[in-house]
Amino acid sequence: MIGWILLGLIVFAVIAFVSIYNSLVTLRENVRNGWSQIDVQLKRRHDLIPNLVETAKGYISHERGTLEAVIKARQQAVNATSIKDKQEAENFLSGTLRSLFAVAENYPNLKADTQMRQLHEELTSTENKIAFARQYYNDEVNRLNVAIQSFPSNIVAQVGGFQKSEFFGIAEATERDAPKVQF
Amino acid sequence: MPYSFTQIEKDKSRTIGMVFAFLVLFYFLAGWTIALVVKNYFFFESSDEVQFRGFAGLSLTETLTALGIAFGVGWLHWTYSVHDLVPRSLRVLKAEPLSPNDTYHQMLQNIIEEVSVATGGEKIEGVVVPTMAMNAFALSDFSGRKVIGVTEGLLARLSRAQLEAVIGHEAAHIVSEDCLSTTVTTSLFALVNGMLNGISQMFRYRRSRDRDSLGGFITVIFLILMVTRFISLLFRMFISRQREFRADAMAVRLTRDPLSLAQALYAISQRWRGAGLAGEELEAIFITNPKLSALDESEGLWADLFSTHPPIRQRLKVLLDLAKADVQQLEDNFRAQLNRPRQDISSTPAPDPREWMLNREGQWIGPYSLIQIATQDWVTPETWVKKANGSVVQVFDDPAILELLRQKNQAQNKLNGQGQVALDGFNLCLRCRLPLSDMHYEGTIIKKCSTCGGALVKENDVQRIIIREDVSFSDRVKRMAELTAQSMKNWEPAQTDLKTAQLYKCPTCPHPKPTMIRMFYTLAYPVEVDKCLYCGQMWFDQDELEILQCLIEKNTKQGSLE
Repeated sequence: MIGWILLGLIVFAVIAFVSIYNSLVTLRENVRNGWSQIDVQLKRRHDLIPNLVETAKGYISHERGTLEAVIKARQQAVNATSIKDKQEAENFLSGTLRSLFAVAENYPNLKADTQMRQLHEELTSTENKIAFARQYYNDEVNRLNVAIQSFPSNIVAQVGGFQKSEFFGIAEATERDAPKVQF
Repeated sequence: MPYSFTQIEKDKSRTIGMVFAFLVLFYFLAGWTIALVVKNYFFFESSDEVQFRGFAGLSLTETLTALGIAFGVGWLHWTYSVHDLVPRSLRVLKAEPLSPNDTYHQMLQNIIEEVSVATGGEKIEGVVVPTMAMNAFALSDFSGRKVIGVTEGLLARLSRAQLEAVIGHEAAHIVSEDCLSTTVTTSLFALVNGMLNGISQMFRYRRSRDRDSLGGFITVIFLILMVTRFISLLFRMFISRQREFRADAMAVRLTRDPLSLAQALYAISQRWRGAGLAGEELEAIFITNPKLSALDESEGLWADLFSTHPPIRQRLKVLLDLAKADVQQLEDNFRAQLNRPRQDISSTPAPDPREWMLNREGQWIGPYSLIQIATQDWVTPETWVKKANGSVVQVFDDPAILELLRQKNQAQNKLNGQGQVALDGFNLCLRCRLPLSDMHYEGTIIKKCSTCGGALVKENDVQRIIIREDVSFSDRVKRMAELTAQSMKNWEPAQTDLKTAQLYKCPTCPHPKPTMIRMFYTLAYPVEVDKCLYCGQMWFDQDELEILQCLIEKNTKQGSLE
């Protein structure tokens, strides 16, 4: 009798272990997926910026400082490798873009330029996508981290070698709305 | 932790299973009743002795047969409804794919992609419904196709953030998959309703002319409509109004912007939501019910069972609590958006600046615009040109003109020696015979003559331009719109004699070019346009497009505010 109960417990434990392990794997994959989404969007932003600078140059070539700051910030962001570096470089890039659009506000011809408007829309969209991708990533990281630390999944996480992931931070709360300059 | 996925799966399959069971039950009851009537009637009539033998029930075998048949018919109905569900629904809704040249559509595409990123990469397709109404919907079927649709009216009148919130709401329906059960349930009867409604509306306009021949047909359609409407009312029991609250909540989780969603809902509730369109029968898939329904706005068990949407008031309350705002703010925002500043296009440069001087036989002539140069037959790559900035080059050193000549040459070669008109490759202005240039106007691209100001617009684009409210109108246009509206009052049909009028040939159709017909845009908006019945291109003389917009806008604004 006791043997049966023990056997039942063992079977139960194995099933529980497997299902928890699998759910942890799912969470980890979601986190990776989230990170790759952020990466894709960041790349897209880096690709758009040269076009933007090129278009803006035609109208505001004498605002050299602003344009150069954007190019420099982009270069830094492209070169960054670790999550922390990326975070800082991307936040800085967002800041310089914001000032570029603020400058553009003063030039009606630049504002009316069709290509500039398209670029602006694309960049706004990419900016939002980055924010959403980061939001999704952070949500998933949060779920993974909670699962790794709470009982009983923490045991499975220990055995399976699951690591806590880093959040992708936001510099300021208002940053999400940042480049939404109205044209 | 969001609404968990196992929970979603369970809910989804349970609702769909229940809908199917109900469908079979419905056919069973119908079949059983018919069988019972037939049996009693048959026995009563055919018995030799005229005596009432009591009420004859159905035996077990007969009941089982009825059940079997009901199952079969139900299954057939089910498979028919579910087959090609999304394309058929889109056809009923008259939805169109997004156009890559349209800035509004591009923005919608971007927003859908953004929200899709927020959901972790759900593949969602966008469509638009060309109507002035304001509404949005989500559809999905068993083939895994997921579609979010938005009306042009919504697209034109909401801000980017508000649109994002609405798309978030629709994406929430898709992610939580209640969209699938809603679409399927709706499709069973309402889709048929939608089609029948369309047919009956089509005939309503002709009724006076051939009432006799079609009268029977219309009656049958109306009878079927009555029955299917009643049944689809019953099926609404399976569409919980709670799912709208859930989708609102999830939209807030996706876009973190409850205020924009509240503003959007408020704006939609204040204006025309699409009642009277063919798609209104599919009400359950929309963000708000296109029909203004008292049932939706009321509470209680009866409304909970048979309505498809919760009261807007309650939805707004939940969202406003989240956003820590009040209704007054929504009202202010709505007013502000109605009176938002317009873009003054009269100050923007003409689409075709004249910056080239040409040297002909030692004389500088001009200045010419690029397009005018194209019409000058004597221009060769060796011709000298002087640019606005003073530099003098030959044409082969000026990439813009060289490209133009190349195009012109190609167009001529295509004609292969027939060469009647040298500029056939271009779209020519109907009046000046000069090439038209592309111009961005109200988010779309129209072809405009830089000399006479006439515009060639595709029929679909005319609808979009009318709905959108980006540009402001000059006083001249406003005054002319007033005069047109006044002239309507003492208007006589025979003011223009179309037979003697000079009619244009369509500039975009291939040879032989059809003649465009001259007509009023509609009798309610008597602006004269020339329309090609083959390709749907419309020609507006200078200012006429703006006058049309001005007239229509005045009417819709009056309709929504007074």
